[in-house]
Amino acid sequence: MPLKFSPSLFEVNNLNFERQGNLVLKNGTFKILPGEYCAIIGPNGGGKTTLVRLLLGLEKPTSGAITLFGTPQNRFRDWNRIGYVPQRSALVDGSFPATVREVVGMGRYAKRGIFGFESVEDKAAIAEAMELMGVSDLSNRLIGNLSGGQRQRVMIARALASNPDVLIVDEPNTGVDVESQHRFYELLRTLNRTKKLSILFITHDIGVIAEDITRVLFVNQTVLISQNPAEMIRCDEMSRLYGTPSHVVCHNH
Amino acid sequence: MLEMLDYPFMQRAFVAGLMIAVLASLSGSFIVLRRYSLLSETLAHVSLVGVAVGLLFGMSPLWMAVLASLVASWLIEYLRSVHGMYSDSVLAIFLSGSLALAIVIVSLAGSFNASLFSYLFGSILSVSTQDLWVMGIFGSMAMALLIAFFKELYFIAFDEDVARAGGIRVTLLNFMLVSVIAVIIALSIRVVGTLLIGALMVIPPVAAIRFGMGFYPTTLLSMAIALISVVIGLSASYLFSLPSGAAIVLCLLVIFIIALVINRR
Repeated sequence: MPLKFSPSLFEVNNLNFERQGNLVLKNGTFKILPGEYCAIIGPNGGGKTTLVRLLLGLEKPTSGAITLFGTPQNRFRDWNRIGYVPQRSALVDGSFPATVREVVGMGRYAKRGIFGFESVEDKAAIAEAMELMGVSDLSNRLIGNLSGGQRQRVMIARALASNPDVLIVDEPNTGVDVESQHRFYELLRTLNRTKKLSILFITHDIGVIAEDITRVLFVNQTVLISQNPAEMIRCDEMSRLYGTPSHVVCHNH
Repeated sequence: MLEMLDYPFMQRAFVAGLMIAVLASLSGSFIVLRRYSLLSETLAHVSLVGVAVGLLFGMSPLWMAVLASLVASWLIEYLRSVHGMYSDSVLAIFLSGSLALAIVIVSLAGSFNASLFSYLFGSILSVSTQDLWVMGIFGSMAMALLIAFFKELYFIAFDEDVARAGGIRVTLLNFMLVSVIAVIIALSIRVVGTLLIGALMVIPPVAAIRFGMGFYPTTLLSMAIALISVVIGLSASYLFSLPSGAAIVLCLLVIFIIALVINRR
């Protein structure tokens, strides 16, 4: 049986990014492969969110190359293959007129085209994403009336509604209570294992990621990659990378 | 009261007013949700420059208003999106700058104050059949664009970054939206007036949002509020010889207060 060529989800070569003359990222070179469960860690201001924004084409690199699913980023058009949940996405304006169903439905907009009405396939994908995230019963509720944890699940349902190959989540637990954080990490694990969804997420909660992740990207102007997350998430290694004494606290999620 | 519809000028005013009510409330929903409400006010003031230039040089004030409003909308969006300037600062500059320019032009000419007054506050007598055709053609085009990209504009209003990351052409659609709004405002000034068109764009969605519904029903309610206000406002304008724009805006305010009282949170 011939081997099926499976390109990297993301391939980054010599990526540099400056903002107003200040270096934010330098010489970033790494690959993310299909099926990976990958964490991006690093100190505040180290460039984690910038790296994600560069991958998504929301920022233009100063130099270097980014390839998405084997296609150079400037020619890439299948953006709905990437689900994105940005930082603080759960902090929605309380009075915004949007029901949960409408927000999750946004995940299908890019596929529908001009004047495109919701197809049977769209409806099924939205229902499945809502079911998966446990927000079906909130369908007609206004997004602004939900708790932080519920909003977060709605935002992930929106990202999943496009049936992406990879889910990028930026600091998912901002503004979310501890109980919801636990459920969230369980959910990410489930999505990665059962749906074979590649996951790339930014986190400060280092202890929680040690068990499952396949790879860690440490971002602090440069990008360091570890294939052995358990090794990287040791106190002495963390202290070295963060440049300050660090203690890794493991808690049962 | 219905005998007012026997008069051709009232028929024209109603047709124009109802068209504008739908267009203004629909497009207004997007700018309200994006905290960009002053865009309508600013472009209305810019339209006034076009009107003044038109009157001064004997050109069509309506066309000149469309042109001035369009150019300003592109410049505003360019400064906001490309140069990263704060939206409210850019709008403040254009708002006061265009008003100053219009005043200078008016004072230089000094002979068309009466005509200009009807553009400032709206006049049901000033809507010609030709104006109706222009409104019909450009209004239909604006409506088609708003409907075609309704869901994308909604997504952008909700979360611009995620919309962009999802492959939606945010910059292009932002320019399209401000262009459509510029045209709608310029077309509206005959009926509502430059100083009051902002209210027709902003108050209906703001009042509708108070009812705490999803976006689609909110948009429909917003249109209904605008339509009711135009019908009552134009009728009051006819019956009590009031400037049409002011009468429409007062109706909108009453509905807004009712919405506020009903939906106290």
